[in-house]
Amino acid sequence: MDRLRLKWLLLDKLEALADRLWPDRWRGATGWLFIAPALLLVGLLLIGLGYMLEYSLHELDLSTYRLRDEYSLGNYAFLIEKPVYLRILLRTLLAAVLVTAITLVLAFPYAYVMVRTPSSVLRKFLLVALFLPFFIGQVVRAYGWLIILGKQGLINGVLVKLGFPTMDLIYNYGAVVFGLVQYMLPFAVLLIVPAITAIGEDIELAAESLGADWLKAFRYVVLPMARPGLVGAGIVVFTLTLTDFAMPEILGGGTTDFIASAIYDSFFQLSNAGLGAALSIVLVTIGSVLVALVFRVTGAGTLSIRDERS
Amino acid sequence: MRRRQITDSRRRTVLKAGTAAVGAMAFPALLRANEKPKELIVRAWGGAWGEALKAGVADPFTAATGIEVRLDFTEDNEIKPKIWAAVDQGRVPPIHVNWDTSTNATISALRGVTVDLSDLSNLEGLLPLSQPVGLEGYPLVNTYAYVYVCAYRPEAFPDGPPESWKVMIDPKYKGRIALYDDGIGFNPIAVIAGGGTFEDIPDNMEPGYEFYRQLKANEPLLGEDADFTTWFQNGEIDVACTISVNARAAQQNGIDVRWTVPEEGCKVDTDGLWIPQGLPANEEYWAKEFINFALSREAQEKWCSMLGLPPVYPGIAPPEDLVGDPSYPTEPADFARLVSVPSPVLVENQPIWFAKFSEIFQG
Repeated sequence: MDRLRLKWLLLDKLEALADRLWPDRWRGATGWLFIAPALLLVGLLLIGLGYMLEYSLHELDLSTYRLRDEYSLGNYAFLIEKPVYLRILLRTLLAAVLVTAITLVLAFPYAYVMVRTPSSVLRKFLLVALFLPFFIGQVVRAYGWLIILGKQGLINGVLVKLGFPTMDLIYNYGAVVFGLVQYMLPFAVLLIVPAITAIGEDIELAAESLGADWLKAFRYVVLPMARPGLVGAGIVVFTLTLTDFAMPEILGGGTTDFIASAIYDSFFQLSNAGLGAALSIVLVTIGSVLVALVFRVTGAGTLSIRDERS
Repeated sequence: MRRRQITDSRRRTVLKAGTAAVGAMAFPALLRANEKPKELIVRAWGGAWGEALKAGVADPFTAATGIEVRLDFTEDNEIKPKIWAAVDQGRVPPIHVNWDTSTNATISALRGVTVDLSDLSNLEGLLPLSQPVGLEGYPLVNTYAYVYVCAYRPEAFPDGPPESWKVMIDPKYKGRIALYDDGIGFNPIAVIAGGGTFEDIPDNMEPGYEFYRQLKANEPLLGEDADFTTWFQNGEIDVACTISVNARAAQQNGIDVRWTVPEEGCKVDTDGLWIPQGLPANEEYWAKEFINFALSREAQEKWCSMLGLPPVYPGIAPPEDLVGDPSYPTEPADFARLVSVPSPVLVENQPIWFAKFSEIFQG
């Protein structure tokens, strides 16, 4: 009885404190309070983007290496005039599409087995294998691939021993895509796992008991129900690839730059903050438009977020 | 008259006393101006470069002054905007001394963020190479010259070193050639190798661009200093345009690499030291002392010998292994074999050349 009283007393005190900190008359703004951190984050991002946009509207004065005071669209015109930027952009977009597709294809079975396997040993092994790469940074992993795939690396060493000629496994586009897939795989698995966990095993059994074989159950039940995870993973992998810098730099051999490399070069090699900012704005715009399109096509509900339609 | 004399005398006395008082009051400030900081941060390149600066300049400077010198290996292009932003925003810059390419240093000088070094006592008697080109005074001081040599793997050239840069477009070496990823060190050479002349630079770079187009077909690797050593070590490349220091360091580490100056010549350039504006007075004072020390005979001899580069201090003999080496120019005849483009021309044209370089190699 005393303990119950103590609990009530404590709750009363907490309620009084909460009322003092957030009076009842402010109740209408409670929702805003909850999204305040998000607003702060987005606000700071928008301020940064605002600065970027402002910088992008000033050209570099080569006599002082400062941005000119006058506003102009010169940097954007320069990007349009130089086909190299379009090529780099298309190369980046293609890689983002390829990496997203390959990663999802590989991540889904991994996540599925991890969730559904009855063997706790296998589940633990898959979990460790999933989290281990997170302890090794992207740059270290890329260098690891240089060691394994290089001219005198593990693979070529085996090829030579077997009497085959060495192969060019690094410093090309394929190597960059390969490195990115390996880097993105854990992110994708982590995002797909909750979606598969949410699909009750009994639903799959029900489908099979109604005559669907495993493939049909997978095609018509599991995949549609896992869509929120697949879309979420796809968006994350796509946007991370679109903005990646390290993999193309390390595994690309200098001739397969992505748009992030072009931004880096503009800011640091050329000291042209205006051009770098213009490229950044283009990248952010393309990324945002594509993600918005995905939401438009699949609906926000696809991420298990309730919208008008649901 | 007497009265006047007395007055003059009194005035002088008052002036003397006043001067003494002001001097006494200013003394702590003067002391503060020379107060030793705990450490100086010097931006440097890593590997053989940083080791040479440490052994040749930083350690002896610490021994002489008691001030620790910390080398900051932030990439030269990355430290630049950080310093610029600090100076523009009135913040203390992140480093005391920047060891930089003369081209980058000139850009910072044009931007007006460098401290004038004209009052350094050791500037006197240095070779004219030490003086920045196209700038007033000494917003930076050049410390040595270096050459972008043609480094090669002797195993891949059994008949002797490559005689021409055209080896870079020989299909025999397809995928086994390397350049800097911004074309630095090769742009003027490409013009000459592509059939142009030195006089074509910078107005007619087309022969160079054409040479790059052919070179692109030969699938070069593009990278930074450290990459060349790794590539040679891992047998990824047979020939590269790189600074002689990198080739020499690789050779000293047991990698079978040699270098040559082909018939078209090699680009010669300079590096320098400069101090960003906005440092506290005492730190700026000691940063200047550091640079002054780096220009002394003792420092230049050890630092540049380790790098294998000709210093701006006159009369220092080259290291034994570089006597007569074309990558170690000492006489006017040696420089005649090399291609030197003045910093102002590089500063003005580098962005244009880089844009074209990217256009060709990223295509």
